[in-house]
Amino acid sequence: MNEKTIKSGLYLRMLRGGESRLGANKDAINDLNVFPIPDGDTGDNMLMTLSGGIDATRSLTPEKTENQPSISLGETASKASKGMLLGARGNSGVILSRFFAGIAKGLEGLEEASTTLFADALAEGVKSAYGAVSTPVEGTMLTVLREGVEAAQAEIQKEAEAQAQTLLETLIEAMKVSLEHTPELLPVLKEAGVVDSGGAGVLCIAEGMLDALEGKDIPAKQTQNAPPKAPQVDLDGFGPDSVVTFGYCTEFLLRLQTSKVGDPDAFDPSPIKEFLESAGESVVCFKDGSIVKAHVHTPTPGQILNKVQQWGEFLTVKIENMNLQHSGVTIQNNFDTAAGGTAAEPEAKTEATKTETKPAEEVFAKKRKRYAVVAVACGEGLVQAFKDAGVDEVIEGGQTMNPSAADFVAAFERAAAETIFVFPNNSNIILAANQAASLYKGCEIVVLPSKDLGSGYVAAASIDRSCPDKQQIVDAAIETIGSVETCMVSKATRDAQMDGVVVHEGDYLGFERGRIICAEKTREDAALKVAETLGIGLHDVAIVFSGADTPEAEAQAFAAILQNKFPRTETMLTPGGQPVYDYIIILC
Amino acid sequence: MLTIFTDSDTDFTPKVAAEYGFKLISMPYSIDGKTFYPYEGYDEFDFHAFYDSLRGGVLPTTSALGEDRYISYFEPEFAAGNDILYIHFSAAMTMTFQSMDNALKTLKAKYPERKFYSIDTKGITIVSYLIARELGDLLKKGMSAEEAVKWAETEVDNYSQYFFADDLKFFRRSGRVGGLAATMGGLIGLRPVIHMNKEGKMESLGTVKGRIQVMERLVKYVEECGDDVTAHRFIVGHTDAPELAAQLEGMLKEKFPGLQTETVCTNPTAGSHCGPNGVGIAFHSKGRLK
Repeated sequence: MNEKTIKSGLYLRMLRGGESRLGANKDAINDLNVFPIPDGDTGDNMLMTLSGGIDATRSLTPEKTENQPSISLGETASKASKGMLLGARGNSGVILSRFFAGIAKGLEGLEEASTTLFADALAEGVKSAYGAVSTPVEGTMLTVLREGVEAAQAEIQKEAEAQAQTLLETLIEAMKVSLEHTPELLPVLKEAGVVDSGGAGVLCIAEGMLDALEGKDIPAKQTQNAPPKAPQVDLDGFGPDSVVTFGYCTEFLLRLQTSKVGDPDAFDPSPIKEFLESAGESVVCFKDGSIVKAHVHTPTPGQILNKVQQWGEFLTVKIENMNLQHSGVTIQNNFDTAAGGTAAEPEAKTEATKTETKPAEEVFAKKRKRYAVVAVACGEGLVQAFKDAGVDEVIEGGQTMNPSAADFVAAFERAAAETIFVFPNNSNIILAANQAASLYKGCEIVVLPSKDLGSGYVAAASIDRSCPDKQQIVDAAIETIGSVETCMVSKATRDAQMDGVVVHEGDYLGFERGRIICAEKTREDAALKVAETLGIGLHDVAIVFSGADTPEAEAQAFAAILQNKFPRTETMLTPGGQPVYDYIIILC
Repeated sequence: MLTIFTDSDTDFTPKVAAEYGFKLISMPYSIDGKTFYPYEGYDEFDFHAFYDSLRGGVLPTTSALGEDRYISYFEPEFAAGNDILYIHFSAAMTMTFQSMDNALKTLKAKYPERKFYSIDTKGITIVSYLIARELGDLLKKGMSAEEAVKWAETEVDNYSQYFFADDLKFFRRSGRVGGLAATMGGLIGLRPVIHMNKEGKMESLGTVKGRIQVMERLVKYVEECGDDVTAHRFIVGHTDAPELAAQLEGMLKEKFPGLQTETVCTNPTAGSHCGPNGVGIAFHSKGRLK
C-alpha cells in the first residue's frame, strides 16, 4: 500500500483496525493497573468508546464510502467522533473521544486528506485531548499521543506528502518510546512497575490503524473481544404459566417516510412522543434527521408498532419481556444494548437533545420536577441506598464498569427535571459525566465533583430539595463532598510495594482515594486500620457498606467492633453488595 | 362533681389515668384504611410490635375524632350532673378540637347548666404527659377546675419538650414540623432536633449528626433552659428505643445528680408522625423557646 491520500473508506478501515487490535489486547491493558486490585478497566473503556464511534458509522462501509464520493472523509470522521463522544467511558475513553473529535475538526469539510493534512488533523486531536482535562498530567496517554504526533509531523516536514504508512510507522515508533518513558514521568507508574494503560491503549489503536493500512484482514466487528453490554437473560424466568407484570421494553428506530409525513426533516415528532406517553411508561423519543428513536415500556408492544408505522418504516425493533430483565437496571441496560445494536443511535441522541429541546420541554413541561439527582453506583444494596437517599436515577456502574456519556444522557432524559445534580462518584467517571452534561441540552445539568461513593452518598442524602436557591444546594454539596472521608478495602491481586506499604497477593488492602494505607491478612483488620488512620473517632458517623464477598455475620461483627471501639462515632451498617470492595466505610 | 379527661396523645395510659381518676379519650390512627383506637377494650399496648411494623415499612395515618365520639365521651358525664375538665394535647396541631367544639355546642343546648373546662398543654406526648401529671397532683390535693385553668395559663409555657427523630420520612409525610429541610439526612446519621414552641407547634431547631451528639444536644438544652429540674418530674420518652432512652437518662443524671426521671413510650398516634428510634425529654424550664 502506497497511500498518500486518506479517504473516507480508508479512515473507516483504520478505525476498525484500531478497534480490532484494542479488542485483542484489552485485558492486558486492563491489567496495567496502578493499584494491585482487580479494578482496572482502561482497555474496556477505550474499546467501548472506540466501538461507539464505529457503531455510529455502521451505515457507512469502507466499500460504500469509497464508491460514493458524496460521503466525505470529513463527514465520516465527524460521525465517528460524535459516536465516540457519546459512547465515552472513563477518563481514558473521554480523552480518546476528544482526540478523535479534534481529528474530525481537522478534517472538517475535506473530501479526502493528504498525509500532511492528516498529520495536522492528528495535531488538532492532541490539542483537543489536552483540552479534555483541566490539569493535563504528563506520563499519561496525553504524552504518548503528543509525542507520537509530534514525531509524525516532523516526518512530514522532512518529506512533504509522505506515505500514510510511513506517517503511521513514525507515529507508532515514537509512541512506543513515549510509552516506555511514562514511568519516568509519573512516579506512581514506576512504583507500581507498569506503563500507562491509556498510553498502551492508544498505541494499540495506532498499530491497528497501520494493520488496516497495510491491508491486513480486519474482522468487521470484534464481538468476541467486546465486553458484555447486557446481562445474560434467564429464559426460564418466564414459564408457560407466568404473567407479564412489568410489560415489554420496546425500542425502535423508525425511518420517517416522505409518503407518510411529507418532509421528514420538517416533521415534528411530538405526536409520536405523545402517543407513546399515552400508551406506556419510561418514554424516550427523539428525532435525528429522518430517524426517530424511541423507547417505551408497554404491555402491548404490537399496538405501539402498528400505530407508529403510520409515520414511517422500521429500521430496527427490539422487544424484551421485562419480567426477564434484571430489576433496577432495566432501562439502563436496554439503552446500552440498543446503543450496541443500532446504527446511528448515539449520534441520534446527541442531535435529538440539541434540536428537540423546545418541543420536549413543551411536552414535558408540566411533568418536570424542580430538581433531580442522578448518581453512579454499583451493588444491589448500594444502588438501593442511593435510591433511598433520594437519588432519582442510579446509573449502574463504578470503578470496573464506567458508564458512558450516553448512559448519563439517557438518565437525564428519564430524570425529567429542570435542574439535575449529578454525582459521578468516581474520579474516572467525572469526565464522562461532564461530557454528557455538555452534550445534553434538555435542562440544566450540574456535575458535582464526587470522586468516590462515600462523598457522593452523603452529599446526595444531604440535598435539601425544598431549597429554592440552586447555588446554595451546589455550595452545600461541594462542602459536604470535601468533608467526607471514604475508606475502602479490596483484595490484592499481585505483590506490590506502594505508598511505603509492602503488599502480598491475597492481602486485603486498606486504602483511600489513590493511596494505599495498609495491607492486612483479613478484610476486617484492613478496614479497621484504614478507618483509624483516617480518624474514625473524630467523625460523628461511620457508614459501612459491606461488599458482595463479605459474609453478613462477619460484617455485623465488624460493625459491632467499630461501635464499641469508637462509641462516639455512630456506626451504621448496610449490605452494599458492591463488587471488588469488601468494605466501603464512609466517615462523615 | 368534676370529671377529668385527658387523651391518649398525652401518653397517658389507662394505668396512669387510673392513678388520678382521669378518663381517657382515645386518639385514633389508621393503617391500610383500618382505624385503631388505642386502649379501647384493653389496657396494655404492644409498643414494640407497633414500632416494629413502622420499621418494616408501615406508614400509619392519623385522623380527627368525629363529633359523635366526643358526645359519647362527654354526654354521660353531663347527664349525670358532672362538670368536665379536659387536659388535652395541643389544639394547634389538629382539627379534632373543631369537632369537640361542635359537640360541646350540641351538649350545651341540652345541658345548659353544665360547665366544661379545658386546658391546652400546647404539646403532645411527653410534655403533655408531664403537665397532665403535675395537674393531676394538684387536683388531687384539692385544686379546683378554675384554679387549674388559671395555673395552666402561666405554667404551661414553663414545661419544655425537645426530641429527635431518627427517620424524617414520617414527619415529612405528616407535614407537622416547621422548618424541616427536605433531605434524607436520617440515612447519614443526621437527625433533626425538634421542640414544642409557645404556640403548641412542633418546630425544627436544626440537625445534629451522630446519635451520642444528638443526645448531648438534648442535655445541653436542659442545661440552658432547665429550671430547678431536680425538684420536678423529668420525663424521658422514646419511640421503642429503650436502650437509647436509658443512655440519655444516664447522661442526664451525670449532669444533674438526683434527677428523678420517668421513662415513657410514645403513644402510637403521635408515634405515627415521628417514627421509631426517636428519643425526647420534657422538663420544667425557664420558658419555651420562641
